[in-house]
Amino acid sequence: MPSLIHKPTRKVVLLAAGAFGLVVLGAIGAFVVLLSGAYSTAATTQHFKITHRLLDAGLKFSVRSYANGIEVPDLSRAGMLERGIACYRTHCVQCHGAPGIARHAEGRGMLPIASDLAQSAREWPPEWLYYVTRKGVRMSGMPAWEFRISNEDLWSTIAFLTQLPFMTHRDYVELDARSRDLSCRAPTEVPRERSPEYAKVVFRQYACHSCHRIEGVVGPKSRVGPALVDWSRRKYVAGVLPNNEENLVRFIRDPQAVSPHSLMPKLDVAEVHAREMARYLMALE
Amino acid sequence: MLPIAAVLLLGCTHESGYEPNVPGGNAERGRRAIAALECGVCHEIPGVPGAWGHVGPPLVAYRGNVYIAGKQPNRPDVLMRFVRDAPSLAPDTAMPAIAMSETQARDIAAYLYSLE
Repeated sequence: MPSLIHKPTRKVVLLAAGAFGLVVLGAIGAFVVLLSGAYSTAATTQHFKITHRLLDAGLKFSVRSYANGIEVPDLSRAGMLERGIACYRTHCVQCHGAPGIARHAEGRGMLPIASDLAQSAREWPPEWLYYVTRKGVRMSGMPAWEFRISNEDLWSTIAFLTQLPFMTHRDYVELDARSRDLSCRAPTEVPRERSPEYAKVVFRQYACHSCHRIEGVVGPKSRVGPALVDWSRRKYVAGVLPNNEENLVRFIRDPQAVSPHSLMPKLDVAEVHAREMARYLMALE
Repeated sequence: MLPIAAVLLLGCTHESGYEPNVPGGNAERGRRAIAALECGVCHEIPGVPGAWGHVGPPLVAYRGNVYIAGKQPNRPDVLMRFVRDAPSLAPDTAMPAIAMSETQARDIAAYLYSLE
C-alpha cells in the first residue's frame, strides 16, 4: 500500500486527527482534574493496580539497565556480614523491617511501601541491590545511600542483604548482637570528576534545599533560611565569619559552633561534601 | 509493540536472583507422591487433582515464597525436612509429621519448586 505514504487517504487523515484530538482532550482533562483539587494526594489513597504494576515494572527495567556493568566484589570476605548488619540496623530496618522485627512507624504507612528486603534479595542479583541502595529510588522515599555510607560499607550491606532471605529471627538477632560495637562508616571520597551538577546533588542529599533557595538547584520555594544566591558577593558567613571557602566548610559542618543559637542544625556533612557545597556557592556571582 | 506492553503490564522480567533447585529431585514423581500422601486434603496445590484443602495455606507459586511456615527460609534442604517433619521446625504447627522416604521428600520439594 505505497499510495498511503505518498498521498494519505481521507480515512488516515481523519484517524490521525482523531488520535491527536484524543491526546489533547486527555491532557486538558488531566489539567482540569489537577486544578479542581479532585486528585487526592493522601497517602491513604492507593494507586490503581495498573499504575502500581507499571511503576514496579518501570523500576525493575531501569535498575536492570543502570546496574548493567557493575562489578560485584567478593561478598564472602570476613567481617562483611557484621559491618553490613551495622549499616542495616542504623539506616534500613526503620523502613524495611527484618525477620520477626517490625519496621518503625514511619515505615508502615508509606506509599509506595518499602519492600521487604528478604524478598528483594531473593529475587534480585547483588548488583541491582547495590545500585538501588546506592542511588535510591525517586518518588519513593528511598534515599541515595552513597551520601551516608562509604562504598566499602555499601558492599557490606549488600553482602548482608544476600544472606537475609536465609535468616531466621534468631539468626538476625544473633548477628546483630555479635556486631553491636560496629558502626556504619560514612563516605570519605567524592567522584574524581566533579562538576556543579554533582554539587547540586550533594545539596539535595543533605536536604539543604528544604530550607534554602539555592541558585541553580530545583526545589521547594523555601524561606526558612536565607536564599543562597550571588554568594561570592557576601561578606560574612552567618553574619559572623568572613566569607571564604574554609569558613563556609566550617559553618556547614557545625553551624552552632560558629554561630551559637543558630537554627541551622548540624547535618553530619562529610568534609568532602561540605567542600563541594562551599566551592559551588563561592562560584555564584 | 504489543509484546512489550504485555511484558510491562505483567512486570514479568527475568531476574537472576536465588533459584531453589533440588538436585536429584523429580518433580513428576513428586506430584504423584503428593497425590498419594493426600497433601491436598489440607492444601491447595496446582496440578494435583482434588488438592483444594483450606486447612493449611495454598501452595500456589511456591517457588517464590520467602519463608516456610513463616519461620524458616524457603530453601530446598529446609523444605525437604519440613514436608516430612514439620513439628521439628515449627513446634506449634497443626501440620503433622508425615511418614515418607527421603526420596519422596526430595521429589515433593522438586514439585513444589516447579510451581511458579
